[in-house]
Amino acid sequence: MRQLGLGLTMAAAGLAMALQTARADEELPIGVIAAQSGSFVSAGNTIVGAANLAAQQINDAGGIKVGDKTYKIKLYIRDNRTDVNVSIAAARELVNDIGVKAIWGTETHDFSVSMAKITGPAKVLQFSGNSSLGAVLDDKAVADDGWLHYTFQSEPQEWQRSGSTAKGVLSLLTSQLKSPPKHSVVFVGNDATGQYLSSHYVKALEAEGQKVDLVQYPPDTTDFSPLLTRIKGMKPDIVHFWYNGDSTLTAFPQALKLGVAPSYFLFGVDPGIYQERSLKADVPVTLSCVPVCWGSSPFPEVKQYFEKYFGLGAAKGPQSSVSLLYYDYFFWYAKALEKVGKIDDPDAVVAELLKSDYKGVVSPVPLVFNKHHQVTFATEVCMVEPNTSDQFKCAVEQPPAAPPPGDNGG
Amino acid sequence: MDIFVQQLVNSLSVASVTILIGIGITLIFGLAGIVNFAHGEFLMVGGMATWFMVGAGMNFFVALVFAGLLVGALGFAAERCLFRFTLNRPMNGFIMSIGLSVILQHAIIRVFNEFQKSITDPVGLVWTIGGVDIIAMRAIVVAITAVIVAITYFGISRSRYGMALRASVSDRDTAELMGIPVRRYVTGVFIYGSLLAGIGGALMISLFPITPFTGSVIIIRGFAVSLIGGLGNVGGAVVGGLVLGLVDGLSAGYGYPEWTDAYSLVVMILILVLRPQGLLGGTLGPKAS
Repeated sequence: MRQLGLGLTMAAAGLAMALQTARADEELPIGVIAAQSGSFVSAGNTIVGAANLAAQQINDAGGIKVGDKTYKIKLYIRDNRTDVNVSIAAARELVNDIGVKAIWGTETHDFSVSMAKITGPAKVLQFSGNSSLGAVLDDKAVADDGWLHYTFQSEPQEWQRSGSTAKGVLSLLTSQLKSPPKHSVVFVGNDATGQYLSSHYVKALEAEGQKVDLVQYPPDTTDFSPLLTRIKGMKPDIVHFWYNGDSTLTAFPQALKLGVAPSYFLFGVDPGIYQERSLKADVPVTLSCVPVCWGSSPFPEVKQYFEKYFGLGAAKGPQSSVSLLYYDYFFWYAKALEKVGKIDDPDAVVAELLKSDYKGVVSPVPLVFNKHHQVTFATEVCMVEPNTSDQFKCAVEQPPAAPPPGDNGG
Repeated sequence: MDIFVQQLVNSLSVASVTILIGIGITLIFGLAGIVNFAHGEFLMVGGMATWFMVGAGMNFFVALVFAGLLVGALGFAAERCLFRFTLNRPMNGFIMSIGLSVILQHAIIRVFNEFQKSITDPVGLVWTIGGVDIIAMRAIVVAITAVIVAITYFGISRSRYGMALRASVSDRDTAELMGIPVRRYVTGVFIYGSLLAGIGGALMISLFPITPFTGSVIIIRGFAVSLIGGLGNVGGAVVGGLVLGLVDGLSAGYGYPEWTDAYSLVVMILILVLRPQGLLGGTLGPKAS
């Protein structure tokens, strides 16, 4: 009888512990909408890679302690198939059917804005790494009753990125050229993102004293030789291949063969890719990454991050670094939830995110959201030694304090 | 003047790969009666196979031959397993080919990955003649294209096989009554067109990086070339490719560069409105029976 009593007591204790464990492992549903198929897949997969790594690390570290409960992140990943309609459908499903508390994604401005029209009314937080969101994140939109109150831009404003990039590129190239560069040609794809981004970059270069010509090419161009021949006729000091890393990697070797300019800047081409492709130029070439380079980062945290990121099976590509536009925000969001003490108070979480900071991997300086829900951090610009594929000199350039003349900062 | 001549040289090389894919489409579309929207993906597979073989240490020109054979075999499988069942319903075949193109894109992503692939320029020379830069590999691509065009042209217009093929297109029933194995000819045309796509892909990756989505972009130009020249007309595909190449090269050099694609398509629309049968005339394309 005594043994039976002891057994019952132990069983009760075991049940209580099991219940405790079950309570401790409550689920925090988070959505990820990204292209895992279609033409944006190379960017989309980086969002998924970052989300998987962050969720695994948070969960392995014990989860998120909110009040007296501990939550483990449960990711609901949806493929938007590079289609805005599928993105909208996925957002509806995640918000209405699954009840996610936040959504990470997506690769492109138009899709993110469409998703925000669903996440906003449902009070679901949205983290999107599109600098072009600056065009819509204004006082009215982010107000308490605004449609973007729950949306956060996890990439710096474009005038900031353009400003730091222009400064870094010119500073690195000036020391390599016989005379200071005066004439730049910005070569960019003629799509909505390209138009938006180049409008800021042209102003940033002009603010640095450059005479700038803008040459736009149709998206999906493969043979750039006619356009590059035209640019060669303009006799530029620098050709800036802007915005689309894949197009840049197609156009740049053609430019080298045609001898288009005495120096180049390749936006969004990681030193790791430059090395992998065995690219080599007999003229100075600068590179920048979005937001920091996996192939040559001066920061040990970034190197460790990419070791783990690639360790999970993510492919090394021109856009791998885009994953860092998403990774840190999982930890920042978790920190905000812990501080607020409940997961069902999105307004309090928004307020906490706006008043807190977070020292992540993407920036040695703690991240802070401004009043328009946008972060600020520096840009890494590298220069490759002429006639080498693997000798890089990198610098981290801080963004300017204010937009250049003629740039409204949007 | 140097720049103008350079643009003319550029136009010629722009035209080459387009002509190659245009010939494949014009044969399959115009002669076999199959609208294969996955033809661009066949080219992409050829390029990816070349990338893989060159990466494994194979000589580029040997890899080019293997890429052609591999994609030819892919074409054989596609025709036997899929398109054979839609010969009398071309629209079904067209829709099926769209599905096939998506499947091929994602099969390549699964096998390799989604990122762009490139190879080192197999020749790596640039000749400067009178201030004009001629990239040696581009000249080789033009030469290979010219040889393929010549072989195909004479094969279609002069050989017994070509005559029988054209007879099959004119009147399939009578051709069959005359003992021409029309079905087998259709398979043969499909394989040959696919082989050209494989070679086109190999030549393309020798000039430009390619992605799993390259095919979906180039297919539009391939159809434009075949329609401008006249369906089933090899000479027409060459003329169509040259027209588009010149329009591309000169508009990029002297027009609004961002409208380069639009200029080519406007030219295509004008030609099709004024000469619905194409510049050199051709077949009427696939017919439902």
